[in-house]
This record gives sequence, C-alpha cells and structure tokens, in this order.
Amino acid sequence: MTRKPAKESPDKGTLDKGTLDKGTLDKGTLGNGTFTKVLVANRGEIAVRIIQGLREMGLRSVAVYSEPDRTALHALMADEAVLIGPAPASESYLVAERLIEAAHRTGCGAIHPGYGFLSENAAFCRAVEAAGLVFIGPTAASMEVMGDKLASRRKMMASGVPVVPGTDQAVRDPAVAIRIADGIGYPVLLKASAGGGGKGMRIVRSADDMASALRQTMGEAGVSFGNDAIFVEKYVEDPKHIEVQVLGDGRGGAIHLFERECSVQRRHQKLIEESPSPSLSPELRARICEAAVQTARAVDYRGAGTVEFILAPGGEFYFLEMNTRLQVEHPITEAVTGVDLVQAQVRIARGEGIGLRQEDLHQRGWAIEFRVCAEDPSRNFAPSIGRIDAMTVPLGPGVRLDAGIYEGFEVPIHYDPLLAKLIVWAEDRPRAIERARRALREFTLHGPTHNLPFHLWALDQPAFRDGSYTTHFVETSFDASDWLPDLAEADREALVAAAALFESGRRLAPPGESSAGGGDNNWRRAARRAMTGHR
Amino acid sequence: MRKNYVVDVGNRRHTAEVARDGERVELRIDGGESAPAASVPVLGGRAVSVTVGGRSRLVHLSPADAKGGLRATLDGWPITLSVMDELRAEAMQGLGAGAGSGSLTADIPGLVVDIRVAPGQAVQKGEALIVVEAMKMQNELTAGVTGTVERIAVAVGQSVNPGDILVVIAPPAAE
Repeated sequence: MTRKPAKESPDKGTLDKGTLDKGTLDKGTLGNGTFTKVLVANRGEIAVRIIQGLREMGLRSVAVYSEPDRTALHALMADEAVLIGPAPASESYLVAERLIEAAHRTGCGAIHPGYGFLSENAAFCRAVEAAGLVFIGPTAASMEVMGDKLASRRKMMASGVPVVPGTDQAVRDPAVAIRIADGIGYPVLLKASAGGGGKGMRIVRSADDMASALRQTMGEAGVSFGNDAIFVEKYVEDPKHIEVQVLGDGRGGAIHLFERECSVQRRHQKLIEESPSPSLSPELRARICEAAVQTARAVDYRGAGTVEFILAPGGEFYFLEMNTRLQVEHPITEAVTGVDLVQAQVRIARGEGIGLRQEDLHQRGWAIEFRVCAEDPSRNFAPSIGRIDAMTVPLGPGVRLDAGIYEGFEVPIHYDPLLAKLIVWAEDRPRAIERARRALREFTLHGPTHNLPFHLWALDQPAFRDGSYTTHFVETSFDASDWLPDLAEADREALVAAAALFESGRRLAPPGESSAGGGDNNWRRAARRAMTGHR
Repeated sequence: MRKNYVVDVGNRRHTAEVARDGERVELRIDGGESAPAASVPVLGGRAVSVTVGGRSRLVHLSPADAKGGLRATLDGWPITLSVMDELRAEAMQGLGAGAGSGSLTADIPGLVVDIRVAPGQAVQKGEALIVVEAMKMQNELTAGVTGTVERIAVAVGQSVNPGDILVVIAPPAAE
C-alpha cells in the first residue's frame, strides 16, 4: 500500500464545478452530482469504514488528519491524505473551511462527514454545497428541524408521529409548567430544546420542586447551548432505547431497515447495540418502523438517518429525536438486512435514489455490536490512553471488526475513546450471544485499559440474556468494585506458569542481550530453542 | 538448574519452582506436584503457548514495567501479574510496604482544568482534589489518604502525564 501525496490537479472524473446543478442543490431536494473522489471529513474507525465502502465502489478517497493523527489508520489507508491542523478538533476536524479547501485542492467532488464532528452541522452542509461539492447526507433544512427538539416535536405532532406527552412550546413560568405537569402526571422531564447527549435535562417529581428545577435548567441551557428554551414532557421510567434506520430519497420517498435496540448505555453513551430488538412483537415492530418512515417523509429526508424512540414498559413508544447521519451502530443493521449503508448513502447522493424496495427487505438472524473503548470500567469508565502494545483480533464465522487502531498505534488524548467495534452475527439471539462470547475471548488488546471485559461481564447478566434490560441496566447491575470474576484454578495455574517460565527464560538469555525491553527478543530466542528441540 | 519464583496474580501470591535440565523443564506451583512444563512464544512474541500437566493454554503476555510487572490476557480477561525471583521478593519484603504515599499522581495524560483544594487544607480520603480532562471527559482525581495538603505541584491549564505528582498530602501526625 503506497501513500500518494496530495495532488494539485483535480481528479479527471470529478464533475466540473461549473456544470453542477446549483439550483437543485440550493433547494436541497437532491444531490445529483456525480463524483469519483470523496473527502472523508472524519477520523478513526468510521473514516476507515467509509474509505472501505468507497473503495469497493471504485471511488477514490481523501482522508484528512490532524497532527497527532498523521499515522492514524484512516490517514494511512486513504488514496490521499491531507493535514488539516493541530490536535484540537476545534482547529482541525471542526474547521469547515479547511475541509472544503482540502476537498478542492485534491479534486474531490463530494464530502462524507461520518458521524460526530460536523456531520449534523447545517451551516457546514450549506457551505459544502455552496462550494459546488456534494454533501453525502441530508439537507441543511432537515438537519435544522431535527437539531431543535421543540421544532422537531412540533413537526412530528403535526405528522401524527407519537411524541412523549408534554408541551410544544417553550415554558418560562413555573405556574404554567406545574399546570402542564398536573395534566400529564409526575414525574416530568424538563428538557432544553437545544440540548443533547444527556445534558440540559432534569427530572421533576413534584410541584414543589418545579420552580427551582426550571430556573436551574434554563440557566444551564443558556450557558451550555446559548438557548434557554425549555419544554416539559412526561418522564418515562425504565425505558428502552429503540431506534429505526431509514433511507430517504430527498423527494418524500423513504424506507426503513428495521430497528436497533441500544439500551446498554453509560452516561447516555451506548455500549452494546443489537438488532432486532428483543423487546418488540412483530405488530409493535411494524408500527414503530412505520412511524420512523413517517418521520423521514415529513422532512423529505435524504440519505441515511436514524429515528430514535423510547419504549415504555407498557409498550407505548414515543419519538425522541432523529439523528441526521450515519450511526456508530450501523453495522448491525447491515448484518441483518444485508445492505451496505455507506454505499447506499453514496448512491442517494449521486441521485440514483434508494435502490431498494421495502418489500425486499427482511431481518435475517441476529446481530450485536460491542463498542471497544479506551476506558476503565472499574474507574467509572474513565478514559485511558497509550500505545497499542499488542492486538490479536477475533475472526471466524459471523465476526466483523471495524477498527481505527493497529498494533503500535498511539491512541491520542484529543478525541473520543472509541477504538473499534466488534460486530457478531448468528442465526438467532442465543447463538449470537455465544458467538460474541467466543469472539470476545479471542480478542486481546494490550496498552490502554479498555472495556472488553465489561462486554464479557454483560453477556452473563440475566437482564441481558433475557433481553429485559433497560437504559438503567449499567447503573443498576454494574458494581465497579465487584464485577470481575474469580479466576478458575486452571487459569491461575496457567498464568503462574507463563509468568515463571517467562522470567526464567529471560535469565537464560546471554548476558548483554537481556536488557530492559528485550522481552520480544528473549521470546524469539526461546522460540528458536523450542523449535530446534522437541517436546 | 533449579530456581524459585514468586508470582503475584491479583491479590494472591504464588510460588513456582522451575527446574531445567537441558530442554526439559519441570514446574512445581505452590509446593504441589512437579510436572513437565513448556512455554513457546507465539504470535510474533505477543503471547506464549504454555503447557502444564499436559494442557496447553494461550496467554498473551507483555512487560508492563521494569520491575517484573506483566500484563496478561487469558481468554479475553486482562490480568495484571508480577513475577520476580525469590531472593528479590525477600529483599523487597524486608524494605516494608511503607505507610502508603500521600502523593496524588496523574494516572492518565490530560489537561488540568480545575484544582479544588489549597495548600494547608484538610482533606478526606476519597475527596476530589483535581479535575483532569482527557478524551472530552472530565476526570475527578481523589485523595488516596486523609491528611493536609502540603503542596500543589500543578496549575490549571497544565498538561500532565501518568506518574506526574499533582498534589502532596501530609498524613495526620502519628498518635
């Protein structure tokens, strides 16, 4: 694999910017440009996954990287790679002008934003299209509606999609908030319209607490999001997080690719996702997927998106929000439907439409995804960094690994701790769980502390095994001080033997060659000894 | 040639006697039966295939420090080990474990974003002293001992690396 320098001349196959149908793009209905080279405006495992998808379609890819990411896998893998700035994301991956400039400089016809960073930034989407490039994603208009919780709530109410009972207007007066809460019943949730990621929310359990809770939530929202609009909705206790993958053609046509359940979370970040959801009857699945399609149609959605719902214990479901991008957990949908979502995004962006019919899509088997993060479950999931000293990855039937790391890679401090995603697929849920256990046991990662053992722990929990787990699973089932299993005696013996023989072998090495850091060499010498001798 | 080793696995200490006679190796764990053993480096030196009593296991092993610390992974479970020869272990024992350091050190690299205590202040074990930001997360670092803040070695905005001393706490005077 060679890494080519960024070229100055535009790619021959790229559509001449002058001929782009600006009128169509400005209306945001359809990205109908053709392109043969795509700038991937992201990093880590998702950038790698997008590059892989593009390569299979015969499209060329340009990676962008910050200074510490010079040797990151995505920058090494792409056909070309462009340095866009120093480590902080605010000076590199979040600088729209640099990304667009890099796209122009390398002759790209389109930009794929991945997830996170600028993927749901309407201003970036507009800037990309104004620069004559195709944005592989939805229109700025649908991002804006979905990025505002109150606006999306109103839109969904008007379209007949069920939303959590509550207000569709901002509330400032505690007396009004109390009147609304009396109507829908306590507990209620105060939510910042511009909030997200679990921030700007407060549960209120009685009228007495309303005034101070409202004041605090407005204050926080004003400071954090620059918008203190708060609304009131019913607080659903013990909910499940169900989301539906959709694809829209930008002209009001939309299909769904069934659901994912993502209730294993810590601090509102998902850790394990599965598809199908163990919580849906066929009838409920049909209704929730139909609601997602209605949501996508209501905004003439273009590209891949995800409609998130909360499912109450009684089976009622409510629209939560729509993520107007590719999701981290998209591979489980790919596994059960057989559809490559990145390639579907590219086809839609090229104006070829969805290319799939609803009646041809089925859920086949069961898929589970485990997010492999550099974090320590025993220390409240605190992030960890360092060099990947050793990595042995699982393979075999039904196993997929989307990774942004390699042995020897130094995990940078500046970005989120997601290192890789392990996805398993099998015929049914019990078999998928056993396959996951097998794959997790084959997976070794030395360097930063990581959460692979957490996943092995989760697989053994009754609430996970029977599928009854809710979004409170980690906080109610996981005890950071007492979760690691006792070592079996045979395991203990193997470890003691390995350590003693390792140390003993080190002593056998000739003097001068046994200095610190020579472990590998000693092992190699021992290997030669072992191979020349016999057991 | 016969040599004894001390191996700490988690909180438990084990002894292992390794007897070598040419290519033949015999291993005796915790004073039990002596059994033939073998250890073959595999996977480019990242792991060993260890055979004791006729059963082979794959153990990933990498040196964690220069003091005998090893990181091991067995069937997906990471385990921290330490190994040293018996003489060294005895010498270490003689030095005593000490009273537990009052210094708070960084365990992750990051940026100091908040310092919650001042020199001279009394602190309780478990109290948050400093907030270090890494990977978009704020991490509260807490006091390991109860005592009085003697010195603060860092400032807000400073980058720290694992092992850097952040706060020195003087334990309360002995009774």
